[in-house]
Amino acid sequence: MLAERRLMIEDHIRRNKRDTLLVCLFMLILLFGVIFAFGYALGFPPYIAMVIGLPLALLYVGLTYSFSVQSVLSAAKARPVNIKNRDEKILDYKVEELAIAAGLPKPRVYVQDSSDINAFATGRKPGEAVICVTKGALQKLNTEELEGVIGHEMSHILNRDILLATVTVGVVGAIALISEILLRSFLWGRGGGRGQRNVVLLIVAIIFVILAPIFSRLTYLFISRRREFLADANGAYLTRNPEGLARALEKIKADLPDDPRGSKTVAPLYIENPFKRSTYSSIWSTHPPIDERIKRLREM
Amino acid sequence: MWIWILLIILLFLIIVGIPVYYYNKIIRLENRIDNAWAQIDVQLKRRADLIPNLVKTVKGYMEHERTVLENVTKARTALMKAKTPQENMDANNQLTAALKTLFAVAENYPNLKANENFLQLQDELTHTEDKIAYARQHYNDSVLAFNNAIETFPGNTFARLLGKKEKEMLQIPEESREKPEISF
Repeated sequence: MLAERRLMIEDHIRRNKRDTLLVCLFMLILLFGVIFAFGYALGFPPYIAMVIGLPLALLYVGLTYSFSVQSVLSAAKARPVNIKNRDEKILDYKVEELAIAAGLPKPRVYVQDSSDINAFATGRKPGEAVICVTKGALQKLNTEELEGVIGHEMSHILNRDILLATVTVGVVGAIALISEILLRSFLWGRGGGRGQRNVVLLIVAIIFVILAPIFSRLTYLFISRRREFLADANGAYLTRNPEGLARALEKIKADLPDDPRGSKTVAPLYIENPFKRSTYSSIWSTHPPIDERIKRLREM
Repeated sequence: MWIWILLIILLFLIIVGIPVYYYNKIIRLENRIDNAWAQIDVQLKRRADLIPNLVKTVKGYMEHERTVLENVTKARTALMKAKTPQENMDANNQLTAALKTLFAVAENYPNLKANENFLQLQDELTHTEDKIAYARQHYNDSVLAFNNAIETFPGNTFARLLGKKEKEMLQIPEESREKPEISF
């Protein structure tokens, strides 16, 4: 009989952070690889390619980081919480309580007038964070389940997942951009540089450049899913109650969204992708399968 | 030639970097504990501040329940006088017990239950209790993180050099261990 290994919540958290670090390293290597290929194909010595390419990539990432919180809120059509309404007052209370549990300043609380159950967190730093919950969530979840959801969102803020997601998307974009330029210059025959170049290396560079954007996107989605598991584990740790979030996820699963709001780019920030129609997940999903998430929570 | 220089620089960074990293980590975790305690303190004060208003609101309706009100006031005084973290926690638990009795007794007074002010105060007090519970949890989490850092290698070496000792967690008494069924 196989013994069931029960991982402590803390072990889940530690493992996840370690894995994310490894994957980010992989992304960086990919980025350097592409810059290298770029410089090499154009006949530049490698370090010149880095000196030009790296600042460009960093600039790109920096710009996407200044991604304003306001645009996310407008896309979701969110409004500030109204504490005169009892449900919303309780939401405000719970956000304040879990911020204390996490040792964070209290995020601003917003509400999205949508009937499906969902929530998201955003903000460039913990000091400027925002948590938004749908009206549907307030109506359909009990206090325990709501705490589970808020715990999950608070964990995203605590673990700087917004920053991680933005930077990763930036890197993916940079890789795609550089690859595209390189490919175009090959196709239009402008790839001629001075001096001899190894043809085999050139072919490797081309293959690399074609595959790099795909791999970096898959890596980003992998990171996204891992961070969702981390937010689940960390959220359960904050509330000391994995069952609350597990029940909330069950309700979300049963509750199909009838009018998804918000732009597709902010979909990964939600606790469950609002544009998803089915419950299965593939390597192209931003979130892990709901059943797997519930199972892991129940094993804690 | 370049490679040696690079290696020496790297070695230097490691030798300087490691102590700096662990020193900063220990300091940061210790500050987190102080901050966590300050947070508990703030919530305890807030709770103590709400009590006089509660007693005033309730007195008019529950004139005959003198012992219940007295217990609440006594517990509040104990809370104001408490000094050490453990004293504060014990006084807080005493106040929680006294309030539980008060709210249970209030069930027999439908006029009181309809009073807007009373309902607001009840919500606020429950909210403050939850905040204290979470603040206590965060305090203990911070103590755990700190103790882990100064007990594991190589943090323990630096901790000994700095004279850092393990901190104690706050004890939670048996009765308040059961998760309260607070339904809003």
